[in-house]
Amino acid sequence: MSFLSRIFRHESRKRDLEAELASHLRMAIEERMSRGEPADEARAAALREFGSVPLIEDVTRATWGWLWLERLVQDLGYAFRQIRRSPGFAATVVGTLALGIGAAAAMFTVVDHVLLRALPFRDPGRLVAMREHGAKDAQQSGVPWLDLQQWMAQNHSFSQIGFYDGMMGRNFLEGTSGAMQVAGEAVSPGLFATLGVNPALGRDFLPEPPGFGADRNTGTVILSDAAWKAAYGADPAILGRKVRINDQSYLVVGVMPPGFEIPMDSTFPEVWTTITLGGEDRKRWYDSPNYNVIARLLQGVSFRTAAAEMSAIQKRLAPAYTDPRVRQARSEVLVQSYADSLVAANIGKALLALFAASGVLWLIAIVNATNLLLARGTARQREIAMRGALGASRSRILQQFMIESLVLSGTAALVGTGLALGAVRLVRSVKPAHLNVDLSAHVNPTILAVLCALTLVTALVSSAWPALQAVRAPIEPALKQGGPQSGSGRRHNRMRSLLVAVEVALSLMLLVACGLLLRTIYTLRHVPLGYRTDHILVAHLAIPSYRYSGRNIVVDLYQPLLDRVQHLRGVEAAGYMSEVPLGQSFNIEFTLAMNGKSINAILKPVSPGIQRIFGFKMLAGRFFNDQDTLTSQPVVVVNRAFARLYSPDQHDPAAIVGKKFLNLRKKTPAEIIGVVDDERQARIGEPSQPEIEICLPQISPDSGMYQPATIAMDLAVRTDRAPDSMIPDLRSILRGANPEFAHATFNTMDQVVEDSFGSQRLAAHLLEIFGASALLLSIAGLYGLLAWVVAQRTREMGVRIALGAPRGNLLWLVMRQAGAMLAIGVAAGAALAWLSARFIRSYLYGVGAHDGWTLAAAAALLCASGLLAAYIPARRAATVDPMTALRAE
Amino acid sequence: MTPARQPYRNRIELFQGTLDMLILQTLQRGPMHGYGIAQALRVRSAEILQVETGSLYPALHRLERRGWVASEWGQTEQNQRAKFYRMTAAGRRQLAQERAKWETMTTAIAGILDPAVES
Repeated sequence: MSFLSRIFRHESRKRDLEAELASHLRMAIEERMSRGEPADEARAAALREFGSVPLIEDVTRATWGWLWLERLVQDLGYAFRQIRRSPGFAATVVGTLALGIGAAAAMFTVVDHVLLRALPFRDPGRLVAMREHGAKDAQQSGVPWLDLQQWMAQNHSFSQIGFYDGMMGRNFLEGTSGAMQVAGEAVSPGLFATLGVNPALGRDFLPEPPGFGADRNTGTVILSDAAWKAAYGADPAILGRKVRINDQSYLVVGVMPPGFEIPMDSTFPEVWTTITLGGEDRKRWYDSPNYNVIARLLQGVSFRTAAAEMSAIQKRLAPAYTDPRVRQARSEVLVQSYADSLVAANIGKALLALFAASGVLWLIAIVNATNLLLARGTARQREIAMRGALGASRSRILQQFMIESLVLSGTAALVGTGLALGAVRLVRSVKPAHLNVDLSAHVNPTILAVLCALTLVTALVSSAWPALQAVRAPIEPALKQGGPQSGSGRRHNRMRSLLVAVEVALSLMLLVACGLLLRTIYTLRHVPLGYRTDHILVAHLAIPSYRYSGRNIVVDLYQPLLDRVQHLRGVEAAGYMSEVPLGQSFNIEFTLAMNGKSINAILKPVSPGIQRIFGFKMLAGRFFNDQDTLTSQPVVVVNRAFARLYSPDQHDPAAIVGKKFLNLRKKTPAEIIGVVDDERQARIGEPSQPEIEICLPQISPDSGMYQPATIAMDLAVRTDRAPDSMIPDLRSILRGANPEFAHATFNTMDQVVEDSFGSQRLAAHLLEIFGASALLLSIAGLYGLLAWVVAQRTREMGVRIALGAPRGNLLWLVMRQAGAMLAIGVAAGAALAWLSARFIRSYLYGVGAHDGWTLAAAAALLCASGLLAAYIPARRAATVDPMTALRAE
Repeated sequence: MTPARQPYRNRIELFQGTLDMLILQTLQRGPMHGYGIAQALRVRSAEILQVETGSLYPALHRLERRGWVASEWGQTEQNQRAKFYRMTAAGRRQLAQERAKWETMTTAIAGILDPAVES
């Protein structure tokens, strides 16, 4: 039977039932009349005996089994009528709940992607990453081959162990249209099998026993899907072809499936060759190559068992390190789920804190909506009583209230989903570039469903509760008195005040967190960087330097390019630096021995002009100039941090000037000619590391530094124009110097600094949104409650005024209630803020987690806006006209 | 307005199954309308059993759904239009079953309430 014909049949049955009951009544009346009762008495008596006609129709129809649907439709219609009648109320509830759902769902999406991401491997839950570390320090490192060999031989926890290491320097793959930068990785032949992923095209590396002399895979390469598409246009004939990587020839044997990456989150498309063990791998010392290890747990073996076994194995291995410091640093093994190893600890913590913050906002939204629905339920007591008197059953009234709140919260869930989608897009757009967070996917449907369900349940409970109370209450008093202040009014009032105080407390917590991060950003912005950042344009150059093998790339490429850039209109100065400060692009760290001490420092090749661009402050001596050439005395400049550590006189950085060390050229030690003041290098929040600058024009293929020093270069330009406007001119010069510079990326120095705030800025932005929303919601809650109370007490106010109460007293009466709610809320909120501060401590800079000023400012903001919101209803109470108020009821 | 509930208080509440049985028993004597059934039950129980319309009509409709009674519109003796219920063959079988069950139960209950009879 079709649905429509069922409905028609249903309608005719309904009419049939009506007729049946009517005939029953008629017969009852006639019988009474035939016994001699007067017509109207007979009618009344029969009706009384019969009971409520609609109710009987209802219970009879219930036996047909279709009543629920009919009621649902009726209640839905009623709910929509109610919403139309008070659109302001509906909009407030929907908006409040949608805000809460949207924020929490969006935040969870981010957390989900970063912390709980799905990895492109088979059964990724059983993959572990292993690193070595010291018993006392947390500094971790990869695993040297000799240790790894023993691990493989001795363990009983893993079915497979794979390992890999990045190829040296920058890597380029020669595609059909020029070279493209790739991430080259050297892997063990069994790594892909460990991960449980087969090539989509071709074959995996041939299995071979790990160790020296393995060469079945030498000269072969497997491409990632991304590299295959970008370099060869997804040409299926790539298998068996020779390709060039860094000027070496490799045979392509396979292409991995789309989305496969190892390591994860690479900036460039990946290509994989196999590891060839070398002489350094035969020793256990500080310079042994470190490998990243990924292993697959055997079925039934837990992380803890595996970690315990590895720790025992490593205890036996560590004594083989002869250097005591290295032995100490490699005495323990960290066994971590591979997924966890992908997230830096502080980012993970901060994301969880932000997620918690969004959860708090959701809570505030729920409390606010509860308050609104409670108020509404209380105000409708009379309506409920009336409907009860007209024969509506209790469950029917309850059901109707619940349907109404379901309609409201359902709409909120829809709007909230929309908000969440928008918010994820927003987060994606402000996400700092170097934060490797993949936000390509959309809102997680599970969490959205959970949030919506929780919201619906809360809305249901908060609307059913007052309805339930009203239904239980005796009907007559509610109808007779007609006063809204009946019975439980006072208790409701107190309960609602408490809810507002809860909102205030939670809001204060968010505001304090927001304040702390804003102060962090402010402090970071005002850290003296040690260099200028205005009017500087930076081009990141990446070029296959092997193209210049046999020639001097400095003379053949970098110098001529610089000369041309310097003659460009608008350029005041131009220079090279291997990595501009905060650039996060390319870092050369090196270690050397001097006077028996080992020196760790950052090495930066620079051209003399760089000083005029960044304005590094000289503490002693001079910076490089044009007289420092290939033929003159080799010279270096160090920074204050370097001088502090290695100067003969710790307190006088100048004392290091004139010292000679570091054989830049064969048998000619370089002379330190100057000391620059400390500058912020990698992060604004971190103090300077020791740094050595060498002069680019003095570098030639003869010097040992040539290879690392010329791989990567940032070109910095100081201009009197807007830096952005220089980009087209610069790009055309770059392309002229070498066509492979066409893809160079540009950035202004101001932007580089801005990007370096990274996750702090993101966190601050999000907390600004959360904090502002929380403030708005709690103030709205406070205002709503007071306005309602004043409206309910209009008559009382009128009486008070009529009896001579000064109007100031009435103002005070309302403000006092507001003050009490705010005071309780702020006190509880301060405690909450104090307790929660430690979650964001790792994100703060220049401000303590328990900063009193921030707390005071947040509390003051909350109180001021709260009192302002309270003043409006308070004034209304004070200006009540006694005559109107008394007449009104 | 206060609904007059007082007069109903002293009546004996019937179990659902019992009411069904009594209705079927009443219909054994021929087709009858709802009002007639209610009157018959009241008169034949000497005014002790007063079936509320709120129970009677749901019961009738339930019986019809199960196929134990069938209904059609007809004329009463007073020339009124009314819906008449008539027992079906299935209803007759059901009644026999219900009566058997009822008698077993009353004997059992009587045995418990009045143990002297047994010993």
